[in-house]
Amino acid sequence: MLKLQNVSKQFDRKVVLDDINIEIKAGEIVSLLGPSGSGKTTLLNIILGLTQLDHGKIIFNDMDMSHVPMKNRGFNIVFQDYALFPHLSAYENIVYGLKNKKGLVSEKELQEYIEFLELKPHLTKKIGELSGGQKQRVALARTLVMKPKILLLDEPLSALDGVIKESIKQRIQSIAREFKLTTIIVTHDPEEALTLSDKILIINQGNISQFGTPQEIINQPQNDFVEEFILKQLQIKRQNIYNLFGEKHA
Amino acid sequence: MPNVKTEMRVIYLSILVVFAVFLLFPLGTLFVRSFETNQGFGISNYLSILSNKDLIEAFGNSIKISTMTAVITTILAFTLAYAVNCTRIYRPIKTVIKTGIVIPMLLPTITYGFAIMYSFGNQGLLTKIFGRNLFEIYGFNGLLIGYVIYTVPAAFLLLNNSFKYIDKKFIVVSKLMGDGSLRSFMNTIVRPLLGTLGGAFVLSFILSFTDFGIPASVGGTYYVVATQLYQVMLGSIPDFNHGAVIAILMLLPAVFGVLLLNYLEKLNFHYDKFSNIELIQHKFRDICLGVISSVIIVAMLSIFAVMFIAPFLNSFPYDLTFTLKHVMNIFQSSDLTDVYKNSLLVATLTAVLGTLFAYCSAILNARTPLRWKSSIDIISMMTNTVPGMVLGLSYLLLFNGSSLKGTFTIIVLCNIVHFFTTPYLMAKNSLSKMNPSWETTGELLGDSWIRTIYRVILPSSASTVIEMISYYFINSMVTVSGIIFLVTAQTSLVASEIKELQHFAKFNEIFVLSLLIFITNLFIKLLCDYLQKKQLTK
Ligand SMILES: Nc1ncnc2c1ncn2[C@@H]1O[C@H](COP(=O)(O)OP(=O)(O)OP(=O)(O)O)[C@@H](O)[C@H]1O
Ligand SMILES: [Mg+2]
Repeated sequence: MLKLQNVSKQFDRKVVLDDINIEIKAGEIVSLLGPSGSGKTTLLNIILGLTQLDHGKIIFNDMDMSHVPMKNRGFNIVFQDYALFPHLSAYENIVYGLKNKKGLVSEKELQEYIEFLELKPHLTKKIGELSGGQKQRVALARTLVMKPKILLLDEPLSALDGVIKESIKQRIQSIAREFKLTTIIVTHDPEEALTLSDKILIINQGNISQFGTPQEIINQPQNDFVEEFILKQLQIKRQNIYNLFGEKHA
Repeated sequence: MPNVKTEMRVIYLSILVVFAVFLLFPLGTLFVRSFETNQGFGISNYLSILSNKDLIEAFGNSIKISTMTAVITTILAFTLAYAVNCTRIYRPIKTVIKTGIVIPMLLPTITYGFAIMYSFGNQGLLTKIFGRNLFEIYGFNGLLIGYVIYTVPAAFLLLNNSFKYIDKKFIVVSKLMGDGSLRSFMNTIVRPLLGTLGGAFVLSFILSFTDFGIPASVGGTYYVVATQLYQVMLGSIPDFNHGAVIAILMLLPAVFGVLLLNYLEKLNFHYDKFSNIELIQHKFRDICLGVISSVIIVAMLSIFAVMFIAPFLNSFPYDLTFTLKHVMNIFQSSDLTDVYKNSLLVATLTAVLGTLFAYCSAILNARTPLRWKSSIDIISMMTNTVPGMVLGLSYLLLFNGSSLKGTFTIIVLCNIVHFFTTPYLMAKNSLSKMNPSWETTGELLGDSWIRTIYRVILPSSASTVIEMISYYFINSMVTVSGIIFLVTAQTSLVASEIKELQHFAKFNEIFVLSLLIFITNLFIKLLCDYLQKKQLTK
């Protein structure tokens, strides 16, 4: 279980996160949803340990992690641009961290990860030869073999197009279920957040607007922001799609 | 970016210490010494220099000839760059221009002077071919030719690089809008390049103003600042305090020039993105530029032709039969082979240590959140400003009593500092383009910071590292001005040895040694180019 208590952060006197309190249960998929500049990436980096917090605590399984260095927290991240190492092949990227932690993953387990992400045919390719979706999966594999206690994903879908997006979405869900992995995903797309996750944390200007399941958010929006910006978008989308299919069937 | 680590602080501090001891203290000493007199401190050194007619004349000469060089060089370099980038002349000609232009950079400037003498002198190669003396080469004319040959390559590389960033689509747009040739040329080529053209001018000026090799060989009685400084320091009655004053006065135009360069940088256009587009057909333009640029290149290179011919003839220009005896003599003279070995040693050490040093500096600046890291940028501007002669002289003043005097160490350090700017900027440029999350990723995958540098950052910038090594090596092979005050009989280098041989009029030896430098540099250059290509295609 991951608890954030009174987490606050300022950059040059500008408040970016203001007193954030949430609890995330083990194995849950949680989306951080909010407009650009609302502090999503900052919150993710604070959990990761890359950014220091000003106030508050991060508690993981009853241990105070607030001042534990990034490396020792045991969390891991897939960056938005993947940060794959271009001079190594896909396979060499995947096993990069295993060189430092021998015996963390058996050869059989490694093959399982590779199979699960359907990367077998691409292992010998250079990073430059991979498509966006393939890069995404290599980055996921590289992170997963480190057996992180929490998986963090910064806008994992924003660089992908339609069909691949849906398949990666499913894959993220099945990873979380299969490995019982707590997963926190940053996104600014309400549809993505609501269809992908168990719980959604809506942030606006550094504050929590609402934290709840997709049903709760749809049925009991807690304020104007959730209603105006999150639900409105979805309704317009729904309307557009109805129009499209309506015309076709008319 | 990764968080600050102890290793970063340690490396950063070491770099600062090196620059303090080998850049700031020496320059400070130079400054203090320029005010030191027998009666304590005062400005009497400056007064006596400024009332010395010869010196004032030398300053006037330097400014005059450097300005003329800068004008001619900028025009020539622009013509060549234009021909390469904006015409459809026959491709091999472009290749020849781009390759031929770098040849002078592989030779010490002092060699240029002797090549000019042997080409245009009374018995020179070109004089023979044309059947008469074209003009008096000792003094102004010789210097001008030498400076132009010396500065055109650097100016060309600068302009050629900027041409790449000009969006050539605008040429087409301008044509479609009905612009005439001149207006189109001014708006789409000259205006976007204005900053770089100014930069090429300033660069050529500074290079000629501070060069020692060319005036040392063909200067004759036309005195310039560099030769005066040498006279005062190493002449019959050395005067270190007066030398310090001249060095400070030599530094001033350089400081002014670098400030101007930074200002001109702002004039440059920055197109968001630039597209490659077919150039408009224009036969007349292409033929003209093809001819002009070929003439420029051939003229420049023909001056060096003599260097490849004379040492293989019995007694140029009287006895033109082939012989290898001069070459053999060199290889049998242990003095000269030792000098060559010294040069190789210094160039190799400079290349390896200098690259390491510049690369570390660039990593700290481009890829860490260290506070005060931009101080390295200021240092790199300083090393860009200080002329080699001034740096060498300030080392002489500061380390004269120390055990560093007369060692290879001090020569290598002088080279590393002197040529720091370019390799540092190469590295910084390439490192700052890389994904900023690599260090964090490496750390999450269990690497220490240094290990990620070694496993990821270094392999990804291998091509730049090779380029840095090549730059440091070639420049320490050819520099004369930087080391002329630091070499001793035991640490003599090829470039400074050539200066000695001049006293004894041993021109065959001079050319053979120059050829040795040339071949060594050419080998390193080709090797590095090859390795770089291999890296890029990998
Ligand atoms: N290192 C920093 N220094 C100063 N300000 C910062 C820093 N990092 C982020 N900020 C500021 O904090 C605010 C939140 O940034 P953050 O990156 O967390 O937003 P975000 O929700 O991820 O936005 P986006 O959807 O655009 O990625 C922004 O106003 C940003 O300018
Ligand atoms: Mg973000």
